[in-house]
Amino acid sequence: MSDPSRTILALSVGVLVMSAAGSAQTPSFSVRVESVRVDVLVADGGRAILGLQPDDFEVLDNGVPQHVDLLSFDQIPLNVILALDVSNSVAGERLQQLRDAGRGILDALGKDDQAAVVTFSHAVTLAAPLAKNLAAARSALTAADGVGETSLVDGVYAGMMIGESDAGRALLIVFSDGLDTTSWLTETAVLETAKRSDVVAYGAAITTSGNASFLRELSSFTGGTHYKVESTRDLRGTFLKILDEFRHRYLLSYSPAGVSKDGWHRLDVRVKNRRATVKARPGYLAGPS
Amino acid sequence: MRCAVLAAGLTVLFAQVGSAQYPVRSGQLLRPSREIVVGAERVVRLERWLLAVESHEPGAPDEPATTIGSWSNADLQALWVDAGSLLVLMRDLKRATFSVRVGAQRPVGVVYPWAQLRRLKVLACAAAGITDDPQCLSGRAAEPLDPGLAALARHSAATRKAGDDDNYVIRRAALLHTDIATMRLARTTEPAASPSLVGPERVRVALSDGRDLDVVMAAIHWEIAAMILDHVRPKGASRPNPAGDDMVRRWYRATSAWMQLNEDHDTLHLTRGREIFPTDPEILFLSGCQRETYASPGIQNAIRTAVVPIGYSIDLGSAHAELRRAETFFRGAIARAPDHAEAHLRLGRVLGLLERHAEAAGQLRIAAASLTDPQLQYYAHLFLGVEEEALRQYEAARDEYTRAAELYPRAQSPWLALSQLARRNGDRAGALRAMDRLYALTADDPDRGDPLWMYHTTQARGADERLDELRRPFLAATRP
Repeated sequence: MSDPSRTILALSVGVLVMSAAGSAQTPSFSVRVESVRVDVLVADGGRAILGLQPDDFEVLDNGVPQHVDLLSFDQIPLNVILALDVSNSVAGERLQQLRDAGRGILDALGKDDQAAVVTFSHAVTLAAPLAKNLAAARSALTAADGVGETSLVDGVYAGMMIGESDAGRALLIVFSDGLDTTSWLTETAVLETAKRSDVVAYGAAITTSGNASFLRELSSFTGGTHYKVESTRDLRGTFLKILDEFRHRYLLSYSPAGVSKDGWHRLDVRVKNRRATVKARPGYLAGPS
Repeated sequence: MRCAVLAAGLTVLFAQVGSAQYPVRSGQLLRPSREIVVGAERVVRLERWLLAVESHEPGAPDEPATTIGSWSNADLQALWVDAGSLLVLMRDLKRATFSVRVGAQRPVGVVYPWAQLRRLKVLACAAAGITDDPQCLSGRAAEPLDPGLAALARHSAATRKAGDDDNYVIRRAALLHTDIATMRLARTTEPAASPSLVGPERVRVALSDGRDLDVVMAAIHWEIAAMILDHVRPKGASRPNPAGDDMVRRWYRATSAWMQLNEDHDTLHLTRGREIFPTDPEILFLSGCQRETYASPGIQNAIRTAVVPIGYSIDLGSAHAELRRAETFFRGAIARAPDHAEAHLRLGRVLGLLERHAEAAGQLRIAAASLTDPQLQYYAHLFLGVEEEALRQYEAARDEYTRAAELYPRAQSPWLALSQLARRNGDRAGALRAMDRLYALTADDPDRGDPLWMYHTTQARGADERLDELRRPFLAATRP
């Protein structure tokens, strides 16, 4: 996680002491264990390497080695957020294929996974809130309509904040086929938010669209992957590939030690004693900007 | 290479414009011929046009307007040439030679054989309301007029008597073509193709969602109306002088606003407006708005990817260049009208986009203090919030965003702004609270809306009323 103020292990302990005389004092205190989460994909020759343990990893935070806890990828349910472009340029067959791709993802989720759907044209809408019951998400896909301009950047931010609203492991899948024309937020601001976020974003953009750089950077800063989509005919396959890759990632966590609290933290994640390609976010931003 | 000029609405218009003996506006066009000979059918068509000018009721999609609206571009180009000749002849009945000058090229001769010239003079006498002029009474110019032309001559003469010289036909003709354009009566189905006639050309590119969808030749009704109004001779003037005419000023203001309201921008139109009225604050303001729109991502992206016909180029700069142009126009408007709060608002926004945040905040504070329209206040607070944030005045930024949210609680932009501001300051809970307000906005909420979505048309909100005002003196009930 990029913001140390967020905890995945937040422990609030309230201690109530009642005197025999009945005077009530309610001292309470909270204990916050600051923790950073890093989603990591380890592969060799394009194939994911599974079965690694915490000791197999070396994590450097601004060059300082950290003690790694490992939360296995199969122990934490996923929060999958679909942020989908439903602007005018998507109308027609492409929208059908987008719906089909979204349904493909929902069908592939486990019983403890959650999903949300954010749609964006010029308007950004939480079409289905994060829930295990996927009925609302399915309805949202059916109701999606290809009308209006494109607020891609706003839509990404809305999706990212859905991911931040829950402590679960968040995967944000963004699809767009056009250039942002109406967002209020700037790319820079949303990319900065991405650097503070645990959410891992995967972008899927039509190759002819003009927004590739934003989605590429978004994916890069969050440790995800940017997919250039030649045709939406294969969008379902792309979405399922993203989910499959995400499921094969390790979730590492550590409590930062020996590093300053605020500012940009460069992350280096390595696997000890074996040849492997490691994919993780390049760092995180902490504290006020 | 022909010079192409952008105009758009989320159509983009590329135009090549020439001029017939009037100030050249823009463009260059090579023509193989140095002389064109006008056939009889063109004079017949010109007469039909004059009758349409006479019988059209301004503001009504009536038969005269639909008829002229159905004419092809070739017909309209011919009309552009022949109407220009007619207007010259109205004031100089001895004139026998005419020419058309297109761009910087040498003039092209326009030859009317004797029979056509004779009929042209008959039409000129009627149009000018001078059928009793000795030159009109002499020779074949005195031939009987059909009822329509007779009525035209009568009305024109009455206008002259009332003190508006021979402007009757000029003003009504401009309104006819304005109505055809604004009521979408013009034929628009012709594909973009290489031109074959002398006259202005317009290629329109329709845009949607940041991309170009269609390229067609556009009818040149705006060009015809503007050319005709160049001939207005204000009361007491010995020469055409549109700059001295109040109707022409109001026409440029109203039509430019209409174009912006309908996202149908036309660069040349405002360029011509500024040539005639270089210090008019409203025309300068609308010019700034147009350039600000041209800097928007939707148009910038579409222009980058648009495929225009061979021979056309695009007179559109980068977003930065267009913002600089907008700044110049807004400053010009404010210099002439310091209390123009909306110009301060727009200038502030443009300066902010140019990353001159302190200047921008200054302009936006002026706007926020004097604007009373809620929508404009909303813009002022939202934009000022951005500048305060850029200046690291986070409390002030939050206050401005909050004011915007209070004005339009169902608009998404203030909640996004508040959320992002909180998030950047490490306040995750605050960021989520703001987003909860956005998440509560449903797609089917009929009251949902963000004024920001209308920012590029808001400046033109009174355009239809301005056009009605322009037409009012020419309605049947008020005809001389």
